[in-house]
Amino acid sequence: MSLRIREVTKHFGALTALDSVSLEIARGEFVCFLGPSGCGKTTLLRVIAGLEQAEAGHVELDGRDLIELPAQARNFGVVFQSYSLFPNMTAARNIAYGLECRRQPRDRIRKRVDEMLALVGLQDHAHKLPSQLSGGQQQRIALARALAPDPQVLLLDEPLSALDAKVRVDLRLEIRALQQRLGITTIMVTHDQEEALTMADRIVVMRAGRIEQVGSGRELYGRPATRFVAEFIGRLNLLPQDGGMPALQHATETGAGRPAVLGIRPEAVRLHPAGTEGANHIPATVAQVVFLGSMTQLVLDPGNGMRPILAETHGPEAGGFEHGAQVVMELPADQLRVVEWQ
Amino acid sequence: MAIADTASTGIRQPRIWQRAPVLIGTLLVAGPLVVFVLWPLVAILMRSFSTPEGFGLENYASVLGTARFMRILTNSLDVTLVSTGIAVVLAYGFAYGVQRTLMPGKAVFRLLVLVPLFAPSLVQAQGLVLLFGRNGLINRTFGTSFDIYGYWGIVLAMVLYVLPYAFLILSTALAVADQRLYESARILGAGPWRIFRTITLPSSRYGLAAAIFVCFTLVITDFGNPMVIGANYNVLATEIYNQVIGQANFERGTVIGMVLLVPAAVAAIWEKYLSRKQFALISDQSKPLELRPNPLRDWSFAALCTAISLAILSVVAVVIYASFVHLWPYRMTFSLRHYNFDVQNGIQPLWNSIYISLMAAVIGVIVVTAASYVIEKLRSPVTRGLYFLSILPAAVPGMVLGLGYVLAFNNPSNPVYAIYGTLLIIALANVYYYHAQGFLIASTSMKQVSGSFDEASATLGGTRLQTLWKVTLPVIAPTLVGVAVFFFMRSMVTLSAVIFLITPQTQVAAVSVLLLEDRGATNQAAAFSVCIMATVVAVLLAVRGMLWLLGWKHVRLIR
Ligand SMILES: Nc1ncnc2c1ncn2[C@@H]1O[C@H](COP(=O)(O)OP(=O)(O)O)[C@@H](O)[C@H]1O
Ligand SMILES: [Mg+2]
Repeated sequence: MSLRIREVTKHFGALTALDSVSLEIARGEFVCFLGPSGCGKTTLLRVIAGLEQAEAGHVELDGRDLIELPAQARNFGVVFQSYSLFPNMTAARNIAYGLECRRQPRDRIRKRVDEMLALVGLQDHAHKLPSQLSGGQQQRIALARALAPDPQVLLLDEPLSALDAKVRVDLRLEIRALQQRLGITTIMVTHDQEEALTMADRIVVMRAGRIEQVGSGRELYGRPATRFVAEFIGRLNLLPQDGGMPALQHATETGAGRPAVLGIRPEAVRLHPAGTEGANHIPATVAQVVFLGSMTQLVLDPGNGMRPILAETHGPEAGGFEHGAQVVMELPADQLRVVEWQ
Repeated sequence: MAIADTASTGIRQPRIWQRAPVLIGTLLVAGPLVVFVLWPLVAILMRSFSTPEGFGLENYASVLGTARFMRILTNSLDVTLVSTGIAVVLAYGFAYGVQRTLMPGKAVFRLLVLVPLFAPSLVQAQGLVLLFGRNGLINRTFGTSFDIYGYWGIVLAMVLYVLPYAFLILSTALAVADQRLYESARILGAGPWRIFRTITLPSSRYGLAAAIFVCFTLVITDFGNPMVIGANYNVLATEIYNQVIGQANFERGTVIGMVLLVPAAVAAIWEKYLSRKQFALISDQSKPLELRPNPLRDWSFAALCTAISLAILSVVAVVIYASFVHLWPYRMTFSLRHYNFDVQNGIQPLWNSIYISLMAAVIGVIVVTAASYVIEKLRSPVTRGLYFLSILPAAVPGMVLGLGYVLAFNNPSNPVYAIYGTLLIIALANVYYYHAQGFLIASTSMKQVSGSFDEASATLGGTRLQTLWKVTLPVIAPTLVGVAVFFFMRSMVTLSAVIFLITPQTQVAAVSVLLLEDRGATNQAAAFSVCIMATVVAVLLAVRGMLWLLGWKHVRLIR
């Protein structure tokens, strides 16, 4: 057991930023805090880093309570969204900073700095000032700076959000590979589900100061515990079981006769030629066709007051649908799940 | 590991390691501010109420009730309002020309208008007397009997004296603008005058208020110029001097000092009030202003700026001229004899000025940097109080602060008495007299050093002191050079804060100018003025050169 967060609570005035949050993170694990803006991800990260004081709760590392330790004494590496490289120092001196503050011998610092520069592939940029580096390079230096003092835990607050799309995707893989090579326990804050899915061992979905669900990307996508998680990760068609909706068979055990909101992922919707019949088969009109290369998105309008359904198809069948065509959509019972009881 | 004391209160209290640096920093900054700003003011206040029979209002009654005082008060307000009005309007035109037109020679104009900042604060009256006085160049050349002494002399001197200060503020206010606003106005069919009234003027409102405040305070508290050119036209500032130095009547001096505090304080409060209502006109989406050529506009402003620059320059030039002639205005042949300084203490006052200014530069930088660090970075319940103390001197006339030093520290039982009568106390008087401006420059820069650097440093194991030393100070170093130059320049030229503190041994050059002028030694006074200007310019050039060698560009030295 490595990092343990116990019942951490934090208020800003009347606002509850963290509401008794508890979480355990194993050594070497890569965890993402995922959630909409303002849900408390950064605040939780800052409490862990020692930059913010929680009013109650504990942060423990290998059984040792850190909550009274200032950030200086925690030895956690932090990478900030805005890089926060010291503008008056070269890349190399930025990396050396943490070691200088610990008064390490000079030749050891030099060796470590070279090591770190090689780690992030910026040996040639050692003597440049931050203002002379690109955004991606600055973020790599920030990463090297955070890693140089050999921290116990690496904390990243939306490290990629200020970068161009292309650089962002490259750095994602780079950071993940680096983390696995070093085996360092890492927490990354993000509001980008794709980022979380591609990088994390486990994802912590947060909402309004609470943890909504913790699990691997596959778990969260396949078995969302709440409607919030279901809607936040991937896209989801919601099917309230009332009004115009025909009764659908589904695999989930029924909840004492209460009406349920069912959900189905777009890629689980199956399409058949008009006239096909069977369980959970509903006729619909193709209202919109969006070609996205490897797949095609279709908006299907079943009419009689039901809301349109989003479907995704891959492969050869995708080409067969045109705007206004009549089709039958199948919502397979084993793919339908209850996302909320009413 | 101590268990957090959440059990008793439910709320975790800040630990001692968080409080100690805040406490120590606060004390280090608050202590000197209390001693060198608050104490002298309290001393003045107490003295103004002290009578032979204890505390009472007698001093006030004996001063405020008199017809003489009412006349002086009216004189002061009259001179102040008129010269402030004229100076601000002219400075606005000058700043508009520099920032919002494409007139030729902008860089030169910018420099020329700032020349008075390099000269002792009474150089305007000195120059005007040389030009328009009884023995002035004009009367001698044209055989006229033009009389500059009195009201108009003071107004003219004051306008020239405060113009550069107003220009600096207004130029900053007019420097930024949002092109999109001007484009939309033009598309909506607004003419130039309408655009000026509805966009330019409102967006520079805060700068205008600040300029009015600074000019008002400078004029009403200046006594060098009225001493030289005022003749029988008395104002509050000269009256304090007369009471304290002339008649050794400290009680009356303090009462007038208290009166002088009122308008300055009112102006300060008014300015604060206006600046609070200032809304952000510039956002990060703003487009910088693109100026288009407009020959009529550009040449009109070039003409205006030329006229103003000539007025400013002629005053300084005639002083330089006078310092090099045998005996103004009788023997106008070249001579260096006034640079022998065979008067009083010889050249010593100039050296005193230089020592004092160097001390003020060093101490001033340390003091205002510490104040801005503690106020911006170590928040605590007393932060607001510290901020108030830091900017309080802006509302205190120099003579009042200086008089406060005399009353508070010229007393063997006071610990500060140990340095009373030394150059150090004069340097300290200058540091605290200019504390508000120095502090605001430093703290603006400190604010730009984002708190995220402090946090980044903390997570890397840096202590507060390491962060300050390795990150914060190096980042703001260029600004601090500017602050040092600011303290040096002002200390070289100021009269008012030091006039009551000098002794024959610690006399400063600006006071020498005043005393020599008073004795009718016009040429020597001029030579002293020239020495002050030459020193300031030499230091400015030296600092520029040093910055150039260091590769630091865009450092603003003249404030
Ligand atoms: N220093 C602060 N003062 C007041 N409110 C804050 C402060 N920091 C964060 N908050 C508030 O706390 C909530 C959580 O913020 P944050 O943790 O930054 O969210 P996230 O990182 O998930 O976007 C937000 O509503 C935010 O406005
Ligand atoms: Mg955040």
